[in-house]
Amino acid sequence: MSLSETENEKRLLCLGLNYRTTPVEVRERIAFPEAHLPEALRKVRALPGFEESVVLSTCNRVELYAVQGAAEAKGGFDLLRDYLVEHFQLEAEHAEALSFYHLESEETVRHLFRVVSGMDSMVLGETEIFGQVKQAYKTALESEATGKMLNKLFQQAFQVGKKVRNETSIQRGSTSVGSVAVDLCEKVFDLKRCRVMLVGAGEMSRTCAQSLMSRGAKSVIVSNRSYDRAVELATEMGGRALKFDEWETVLHETDVIISSTSAPHFVIKPEMVEQVMRKRRWEPLFIIDIAVPRDVDPKVNEIEGVYLYDIDALQAIAEDGRRERLRQLAACEEIVEDQLAKFGRARRLSGVSEGEEGALETI
Amino acid sequence: MTLTQLLLLLATLAFAGGAVHAFVAFKAGRWHQSRWQWVLILVGFALQTGFLYWRGKEVGQCPMKSLPDILVFISWSMVLLYFLVGSAYRLSLLGVFTGPMVAGLLALSAVLPGAFDPYPAKAKIVALVELHVAVALVAYAAFAMAAVTGVMYLLQERMLKSHRIGQMFFQLPPIRELARAILRLVLLGLGLLSVALGLTFALEPSVAVTGSKVVFAWGVWGLYAVIAVLMWRHVMSPRRMAWLAVAGFILPFVSLWIVS
Repeated sequence: MSLSETENEKRLLCLGLNYRTTPVEVRERIAFPEAHLPEALRKVRALPGFEESVVLSTCNRVELYAVQGAAEAKGGFDLLRDYLVEHFQLEAEHAEALSFYHLESEETVRHLFRVVSGMDSMVLGETEIFGQVKQAYKTALESEATGKMLNKLFQQAFQVGKKVRNETSIQRGSTSVGSVAVDLCEKVFDLKRCRVMLVGAGEMSRTCAQSLMSRGAKSVIVSNRSYDRAVELATEMGGRALKFDEWETVLHETDVIISSTSAPHFVIKPEMVEQVMRKRRWEPLFIIDIAVPRDVDPKVNEIEGVYLYDIDALQAIAEDGRRERLRQLAACEEIVEDQLAKFGRARRLSGVSEGEEGALETI
Repeated sequence: MTLTQLLLLLATLAFAGGAVHAFVAFKAGRWHQSRWQWVLILVGFALQTGFLYWRGKEVGQCPMKSLPDILVFISWSMVLLYFLVGSAYRLSLLGVFTGPMVAGLLALSAVLPGAFDPYPAKAKIVALVELHVAVALVAYAAFAMAAVTGVMYLLQERMLKSHRIGQMFFQLPPIRELARAILRLVLLGLGLLSVALGLTFALEPSVAVTGSKVVFAWGVWGLYAVIAVLMWRHVMSPRRMAWLAVAGFILPFVSLWIVS
């Protein structure tokens, strides 16, 4: 490659930090509020030689994607870094603690493909990031901060994200106790008709109940030894509180029981559940026993139509989910590499400007 | 190889190919719903339809007289019901479970002694008799689909009970939805069989369908009527109901051999 060609190259850059490189107390200092993004995009584009930009700012990462013109091919990362330090008015000690990754050309494309596919996320395979990247790109597009190169890159990245999701099981399976509980419930009931009861108002049961409610569970009843605490939690979740000596009376009207009392003995016993199942006319009953020591006699699981999961069972499934996602990673990497090669080829075939061509040669 | 034999072979291969592909994908942990599975079943269905059309031309009547023909017609009806029921209840894996059964029925029909021999010509074709037979066989297909759905229920229920959450678990529908689908398929089959049997009362005595076929058909009707009432009244657990839907299909299946 001749010197003149090198000088004509545009640079596709990504300067970023994420949960791996930077602790949360530093990350939170340089997170962009959504309303400030258009201004940030404008400022990045106003940096010497910068032509396009997209700013991705989530709780786990801050990344600046940018295209730097051929004439200003030097010092792009320093300019971006200085902009962040200045914009967030970071003190020297915080500025020094920033641990950025600097990606260029092919590395940037690969990185974005992996980010969009959830392969770079803290919870491997999570799908929320797809929407976050889409939103970041939309904001940049509306702010007229993108051009030909970033438009193609992001549109292709969304295709890759969909492909990875459709052709692998990376997003399948649950990786936390709350999401396991929800997934299991969804395989028993239609959640929209699902009535939940909390027996005991511990933190974990609250998390599980909130996961169920956020996915559309119909109602929630909270029963706790401390009635005030039950009222507090029920109010928070839009449900109703019940005195602790009354919870057995509504058991048959409940589809999901989340139990987390501190009782030293079994609170829910087979005889009780058998009666409940007769009243329910064999409608399934899902019981989550988060308490240690356990609240529910394991023999309850032998009753037809009753599905009992204790904390170990939930955690084992979550662990399986994490392992399964890790197993899928190789297949995802294969798709990303394949799409990376195709992206490079397609870009070369399409009519790109002379300046862009140089950058794409390296892709 | 005749055209009908070729169509039957290709249809069997389409369903078997779909089933093998799904099985391999499941084993490798790569299974996901795609339009190709649906297309493969659609191709198999088109080939089955072609077979029935040409076979009807060959024998000069609806091809529902010999056991091999009956098996092909039932398997065709099953796929038809899959297209109707599968989408209505979003039973995403129903095709995967139906495919092997349909391929098995088609393969069985091809290897039975005297498979697809010509029939003696009918002196007179009575439309009501043909309708009676066709509706009864679609009813049997509905019972077959209830059995397939029952297998799906039992698998899903087993995984939930034993806490063994595999890849198939996430593809199978909720058990409550499966239990409802079983009940509806049983009711559909029962309704169709009632219509088929009701048609026999409208026939002239000279052409009335009598003998062992009708006795067995009434036996099947009685069995599924009992199953339907038990399901409707929630007398037993859904798991037992699913077993009943699976085991119940043995009677209509075996009766086909006896009466043919």
